[in-house]
Amino acid sequence: MSAPALRASRLGKRYGRLEVFSGVDLEVRPGEVVAVLGPSGCGKSTLLRVLAGLEPPDTGEVTETGKPVRGPSPERPMVVQGATLFPWLGLRANLEWGPKALGRKDFAAVAEALLAATGLAGSGDLLPRQLSGGMRQRAAIAQVLANEPPVLLLDEPFGALDAQTRLRMQEWLVGFLAQRGTATVLVTHDVEEALLLGHRLVRLSHRPARVVEELALDLPLRRSRATLSDPGFVSLKSRVLEAVLDA
Amino acid sequence: MTVQDLEGAAGVDLAADLPPASMHARRRPFTGWRRLLLGLSLPALLITVWSLAAASGVLSSRLLPAPVDIVTSARDFVFAERRTTIPGIVPFRGSAADHVTASLARWMVAYLIAVAVGLPLGMGLGLSRWVSAAVDPLFQALRSIPITAWLPIALVWFGLGEGAARYLVFVGAVSPIVVATADATARVPRALVDTARMLGTPRRDLARRVYLPAALPGIVTGLRLGLTLGWTSLIVGELTGTNRGLGAMMFAAREVGRLDQIIVGMVAFAVIGFAADFVLRSAARPFVRWADA
Repeated sequence: MSAPALRASRLGKRYGRLEVFSGVDLEVRPGEVVAVLGPSGCGKSTLLRVLAGLEPPDTGEVTETGKPVRGPSPERPMVVQGATLFPWLGLRANLEWGPKALGRKDFAAVAEALLAATGLAGSGDLLPRQLSGGMRQRAAIAQVLANEPPVLLLDEPFGALDAQTRLRMQEWLVGFLAQRGTATVLVTHDVEEALLLGHRLVRLSHRPARVVEELALDLPLRRSRATLSDPGFVSLKSRVLEAVLDA
Repeated sequence: MTVQDLEGAAGVDLAADLPPASMHARRRPFTGWRRLLLGLSLPALLITVWSLAAASGVLSSRLLPAPVDIVTSARDFVFAERRTTIPGIVPFRGSAADHVTASLARWMVAYLIAVAVGLPLGMGLGLSRWVSAAVDPLFQALRSIPITAWLPIALVWFGLGEGAARYLVFVGAVSPIVVATADATARVPRALVDTARMLGTPRRDLARRVYLPAALPGIVTGLRLGLTLGWTSLIVGELTGTNRGLGAMMFAAREVGRLDQIIVGMVAFAVIGFAADFVLRSAARPFVRWADA
């Protein structure tokens, strides 16, 4: 088994008297999607910000391929729900931003390839506000993947979309991540999304959040809308949903 | 692997995720001549009523001259042959170019200084809690002082004439620029800054590459307000110590009771202020078009 791309050990975070989470252990390996499931407000997003290096932990440590995480990095980008594209730039310029910031000369080719791979080839000159919600989220994921990070952090990336668009985007993301082999931590409160996208499920308790269950998801690797009616998926969803509701 | 491969593999039709239909919907345009005509109709109505009131004797010329007299004065101001300038006397006939040039020069110099001071100060206030805590209380107190209250001290500090006039324009222009810039900078979404950092943007480049463009629509509003307030402050600065400038001309006209000349000055202020705002708005438009609703 390959070494973890990202590992969090005994992670804790508090804001004043408010303890957000404590003692959280988490690791994700190359090519693996770890779905972190927890109730709203339990500190999932804060956990992801700590993993991204945007906030320091109060206890414990985050390491990336063995090295301690000290701040945000193109190696470990995070995509949040809603738009994180730069609204004054066209889509192509948004995708070129990362490679340019790292001094890469092939930024134009990288952007074109990502536009094609995300089904946005004809939209390179459009501003983010001219795109649909689904297009914006695909572009936001493509934007951070332009730097070819080994780790991707997704914070309810499709939470703002309607149910149909969300399902289409989830199916797209399954294929997109499988093709790239990016180690991914997906934070969500949606059981179906966690089961559809994740290879492993980490369930958090209410605040202060702790890991209450870790589960390898024994489902087909390439999942699609057909997976939703798979008996194994349905029974697993029902079991996890009950555990979440009883928590 | 192409998008078709991905679509095929996952059975996904990404083409179904199209730009919102609202992007294609268009409200009936209300621009160009129709808008201009509507904008001119109210002033035209007022001038007609004013002319009728003056012609019928209802309105005394001592209180408000007839529009036709003001047009005649304006023509003299712009086109009449200029008389020999007597020292200490502010000329009117044929001196429009001279007064307008003098006012514009004062205004532009002081406005550019206000921009050079206001933008970095506003960004500093918006970006740093330390700068905000240290500077904001003093700044808010100072900006509450009316522009006319600055006149006596400006005369002491800069003497009669040019310096005091420029200082008052600066005071009038700098406040809205600082306030709007600070507010717009502080409102830049944290997610944009985080994204820029996670894409590898150095911290030292964030102000220039993220905060400035993201805050630009708000900053442009401040620049426009500063432009107008600086222009209106100019008249206070030109009330004393100078023979050149629209404010000086209006003050001299008041001393000899020429209401028609005062109104010519007011119209000149309005037209130039409107034109300057139009130029600034048009110049900034390509950079802030993305924020249009």
